[in-house]
Amino acid sequence: MSKFIKLSFDKGGLNTQLSEFFSDMLENKAVDAILAPMTQPKKGVMQTLVTTKENLSSIDPFAPVMPVNSAKIASSLTATPSGKRIGMVLRSCEVRALVELVKLKQANLDDTLLIGMDCLGRYENTDFLKYQAKDGSSETFIEAALNGKTESDGFDVAGACKICEYPSAPNVDIRLGIIGSGSGTLYIEAVTEKGEEALTKAGAKFVDAPSGRDDAVKKIAAARTAARDALFASYREETGDFDALDEKLAACINCYNCRVACPVCYCKECVFVTDTFRHKGEQFINWANNSGTLKMPTDTSFYHLTRITHIATFCVGCGQCTSACPNDIDVMPIFRTSAEKVQARFEYQAGRSVDEPQPLSVYDSDELMEVTGQVK
Amino acid sequence: MAENKPTGTVLVAGAGISGIKAAIELAETGYQVLLTDASTQVGGILAKLDYQFPTDHCGMCRMLPMVGREYSSEYCMRKSLYHENIEILPFTEIVKVEGDAGNYKVELKKKARYVNPDACNELGKCIEACPVEVDDEFNHGLTKRKAIYKSVPHNVPQLLLIDKEACTECGECVNVCSTNAINLKAEDEMETREVHSIILASGVKLYNTKEFEDAKSYAVSPDVVSALAFERMLSGTGTYKNGTIRRPSDGKPAKKIAWIQCMGSRNRRQNRDYCSSVCCMFALKEAVLAKEKGGPDVETTIFYMDMRTFGKNFQRYKENAVDEHQVRLIRCRVQEVIRRPDGSLQIRYFDPDTNEFFFEYFDIVVLSTGQVPFDDHKKWAELVDAELSPTGLLATEPYSKVRLEGKQGIFMCGSLMGLTDISEAMSSGIAAAGEATNFLTSIDVARKFGDEIPEPKTSDRSIPKVAVLVCKCGEFAGAEGLDTALLETELNKIKDVETVHIVESMCSETGQDEALDVLKKSGCNRLLIGACQPYMYRRKLKDIARKAGFNSSLVQVFDILGISRRGIHEDDKTTWTRRAIKEIKSDIAMMKEKPALHVQTLPINESALVIGGGISGMQSALSLANRGIPVHLVEKSSELGGFAGNSIASTIDGLAPMDMAKDMKLRVFEHKKITVHLSAQVEKTEGTLGSFESKIVYNENGENTYLHHGAAIMATGGHEGSTDEYGYGEAENVMTQFEFKQGLENGNIDLSAAENVVMIQCVGSREKDKREYCSRICCMWAVANALKIKEKNPETRVFVLYRDVMTYGFLEQYYTKARLAGVIFVNYELDSKPEVEIVDGKPVVKFVENVLNSPIEVSPDYLVLSTGVDPEPSNKELSEAFKVGLNRDGFFMEADAKWRPIEFNQMGTFLSGVAHSPMPLPDVIMQAEAAAQKAFTYLSGGEIQTARVTSSVKDALCVRCQRCVVVCPYDARSYNEVENRIDVDPSACQGCGMCAVACRNNAAEVSGWSDRQLMSVIDEKLSDDLELSTT
Repeated sequence: MSKFIKLSFDKGGLNTQLSEFFSDMLENKAVDAILAPMTQPKKGVMQTLVTTKENLSSIDPFAPVMPVNSAKIASSLTATPSGKRIGMVLRSCEVRALVELVKLKQANLDDTLLIGMDCLGRYENTDFLKYQAKDGSSETFIEAALNGKTESDGFDVAGACKICEYPSAPNVDIRLGIIGSGSGTLYIEAVTEKGEEALTKAGAKFVDAPSGRDDAVKKIAAARTAARDALFASYREETGDFDALDEKLAACINCYNCRVACPVCYCKECVFVTDTFRHKGEQFINWANNSGTLKMPTDTSFYHLTRITHIATFCVGCGQCTSACPNDIDVMPIFRTSAEKVQARFEYQAGRSVDEPQPLSVYDSDELMEVTGQVK
Repeated sequence: MAENKPTGTVLVAGAGISGIKAAIELAETGYQVLLTDASTQVGGILAKLDYQFPTDHCGMCRMLPMVGREYSSEYCMRKSLYHENIEILPFTEIVKVEGDAGNYKVELKKKARYVNPDACNELGKCIEACPVEVDDEFNHGLTKRKAIYKSVPHNVPQLLLIDKEACTECGECVNVCSTNAINLKAEDEMETREVHSIILASGVKLYNTKEFEDAKSYAVSPDVVSALAFERMLSGTGTYKNGTIRRPSDGKPAKKIAWIQCMGSRNRRQNRDYCSSVCCMFALKEAVLAKEKGGPDVETTIFYMDMRTFGKNFQRYKENAVDEHQVRLIRCRVQEVIRRPDGSLQIRYFDPDTNEFFFEYFDIVVLSTGQVPFDDHKKWAELVDAELSPTGLLATEPYSKVRLEGKQGIFMCGSLMGLTDISEAMSSGIAAAGEATNFLTSIDVARKFGDEIPEPKTSDRSIPKVAVLVCKCGEFAGAEGLDTALLETELNKIKDVETVHIVESMCSETGQDEALDVLKKSGCNRLLIGACQPYMYRRKLKDIARKAGFNSSLVQVFDILGISRRGIHEDDKTTWTRRAIKEIKSDIAMMKEKPALHVQTLPINESALVIGGGISGMQSALSLANRGIPVHLVEKSSELGGFAGNSIASTIDGLAPMDMAKDMKLRVFEHKKITVHLSAQVEKTEGTLGSFESKIVYNENGENTYLHHGAAIMATGGHEGSTDEYGYGEAENVMTQFEFKQGLENGNIDLSAAENVVMIQCVGSREKDKREYCSRICCMWAVANALKIKEKNPETRVFVLYRDVMTYGFLEQYYTKARLAGVIFVNYELDSKPEVEIVDGKPVVKFVENVLNSPIEVSPDYLVLSTGVDPEPSNKELSEAFKVGLNRDGFFMEADAKWRPIEFNQMGTFLSGVAHSPMPLPDVIMQAEAAAQKAFTYLSGGEIQTARVTSSVKDALCVRCQRCVVVCPYDARSYNEVENRIDVDPSACQGCGMCAVACRNNAAEVSGWSDRQLMSVIDEKLSDDLELSTT
């Protein structure tokens, strides 16, 4: 059974409470460092690594923005172990991506304390700046979002967030719960033994579990799942054949931002920037010859199709790909719809469990007969 | 090797799987093989089996060599076999053998096919034209064929022939044949060949319902079929279609299928007092497949006497068949099958569960037909002047299953030894090849390896210049409308093609000289050759190219005739020429991007490490040492001999293992090439095939040493299992079968006053969470001990409480003998195990007598428990040290249960004897010989050449996610922690490409199959059809 700590805060006091909580963690050596979103001196909110409690005052984990998916940051911090225990405050999609990276041996959870936070969505980076400019704060966002209102003056949370089935982060040691905890209250949940140990060390006083949290989480998840299914249905309709898909991708200019933003695109060097795709002049001429015209740059749809095959088994649906596109191509639904089918076929769910082997990572001669057409 | 020595040549008579395996092993060792078969095809019975137990797949290709793949064409084995050291002569009989070991003259009769395979274009117009229809024997008469026909539907190339008995000589076929391939007047040809050694592998004749009197009460309808015929009913090249198994009589879907076991076997009255050994597993496999192929509503029932699941993992397969596939097993000997008016088949049986008789109706009844004695053996005995044993088989040397008694140069393998399963066929084939190699080594003949033609180191960066050679195939291509002029014009237009040349016939010497000349002058670095049957001629054509200075990996041979034949039916010549050009263009695209691939040469440490000094280990060590290979023999105890060699004085078939071991020990200690390490264990091992380094620790003083060796054989053996069931340890006269045997032998057991002896079989065996396997030897021991009791005191009553009596093969005769001697065999099942109570220090056994179905209580003078065989616990550490598999029972896990029983996936490591699974001594010795042969082939070649096509790692791209390591089916990849990189063992890599699939990063790549190449091919195939300037 999970154990809970209750943090009550006055209006405007959420981050102060959190800062105190994390100070205790650092001071009592429950962790050696904290990675958490913090308000930056000049502009915006970014993930920030802190090792001393004095520097925690600008912490703001619930700020509705996610400049990058921190799974990649977690990978940099842990792939070669630092020997220090880092508490990482992550959203659900960040944790789930991190789980995939762990299985791909690109990250290591031995020295981490995963602190998941309830997520009500995030704005695109530029929209968040607008939100801040209008005196929007984490608390005002939470309050509005819990009442179902995330829209604000012509912008809304990212499309990926609207269809995200996981408002609460799975596979974490500690959870910062804002859903169903009541106004002015935050519950901190020790999910694992490791989490409980850390909280105990930090000097926590445990209280009863908040009533109604589970139902509230389920309700949000159900609404988003319905939205997801509706989007999947219409998107599949719109991209029923290759030409239709090609049209969706028509504006692609091979900037590869989506791949850089993708937390589970883990190749050291993308094949599309290697020699494999450095075609000879003659090749371009032949293509132009064959089809009359040749749109340049080439290999744009090919690139996205390749990404589908590469990440369909790992995609956690964070939507960073869409956020990264300079030409406003909404690529997220491509990956989410294909990932849904692929993962279902392997009875796999990206981010669900560290112990579950990834599809196609084990050799089974009896697999996928309907695809291979293999005669037994 | 001296020039004047002749190359060792071996005749392998019989091209079933064991013969093929023996042939491949010999060919790989460097000997020349003549592989004959009396039938029209190679592959024997297995050519008919699409699905093999226990994987329920075909896996025949797994018997092909794993190293040196360059020298044999790696194709589907059910289609055909090609190896440059093997000459295959199907449809050929041995009619006379003269001479002696080392110098045989063999007279061959090559039977007339009436169709010249070199001329035949395989289009089959003649088959359409033929008016004669007869039963097709390949499908056991389930389908019809013509008098001119293809004997195996899936062979490549298709060798047509005429059944002269059916042929009416109407000449229709001759009329329609455009290539003049048919000669109705052809005659058998006689030929005499000289060979040094002979391996007999002609298999065994199977029981069939047409020939044998006792089958009449069963074969009452076309819906009663033999097990092999049923196999054809499950095959796409047989009668299976659209997910339904149909009754042969009227084509109605078959939903209830019964198997009747022991058809023709285990029948003393018909002089067939043996078990055919393979039928139980065969029936189980067919029953599982029937459901898979016929739909989940198919009901399967097997009527059996004993379910003989004695082999490795057989018991588990049976349990799975019953639990997962609902195969119903009924222990009952069915007396007859009656055909009812509606065509259904009635079986009356006694159900031992309810003790009642039932009638049941089936759509198909499959007769599990075994072997019948042994006409072939008589023939062979006369031909090679060998002895026959009382069983009717060819007599062998004591302990040997493959060495013919008194015939130094002649060996046998496969079902000629008595029906064998695939795994035993493989082991025996390798062992026979090993014995032949031993013999050939002793007579000092040469071994032959591929001609070493030096290869230029073509640089990857040289600009591709492509030469295209097309063979006109003499008169045939012309006849089929190959428009070579058009071809030449079009090919010359392709960029990077510098030379196009049409050769009249590449088969002829003039043609080859002409090709060589053109190629030498061409200045090209890539070559495409269009010829017929590339799978047969590839090697020869590549040799020509190499002589002309081409790197073989940059030479591609394609099937020009195949393209033409596929197109010729409907299309005019322009259409198909265009198609041919398109195919050639994509081949050129593939070729242009291809890097030059080179063979890697791995040095070989020509010595072996044998782990385990029992009979198996000593046999392997001696066999290798006798051929000049230094051997380190490591034994963890303080003496050689193992369990059998130190404790078993006699066996049921009159052998004396302890005496034999004594002799072997002497020979081992005296052998200059063998170093014995007693009280020693292998602690760790590093390296791969050809260069292992193992740390040996001596138990007594803790000292250690490092041994370097090129191969390793696990021969760790096993020991008698223990039990705490049935009062063992609580009373003096409760003992294990082995203890009882020793007591009988040393006289400690006095039976003069003994009234009752009870034996319980399968103690702690074939049971969940205990020994989940059959130990194979306990029934034999029980029968032997029971017979000995009866011999000493015929008045003593002996009860053997058994689950299934596993006296497979010719052990059946001892079971019969025991029953005749009055030994009482009582069946029990797991849910009604016998109960034992110790009263006043004596056991009281309660069990149910299953004929009268009444409970019986016996106070035996001795209660004897068959406790089975346990694997050595040290197997676990060894499996970790050598990175080889261990199954859940603790025995080693071979690379493939059927096709590679002697090898591990880890190249250069082998296993034999009880380390593999419990087995009797002759099988242990056969496996030991086979393991030695496998090691010898690798060790004696001086070096090992890896294949050109292997996978590699682009280190700069690799993220070390290690997916490729997990996914590799050959354990060829590993993560090197020290260097932080992925290593590939090029000798183990088979170039399957799984790693390239698993790698997101393009860091794992199979050489010669880069993305760039494949994308160019796709581009070429997708490009618009070419406009032809001329027509």
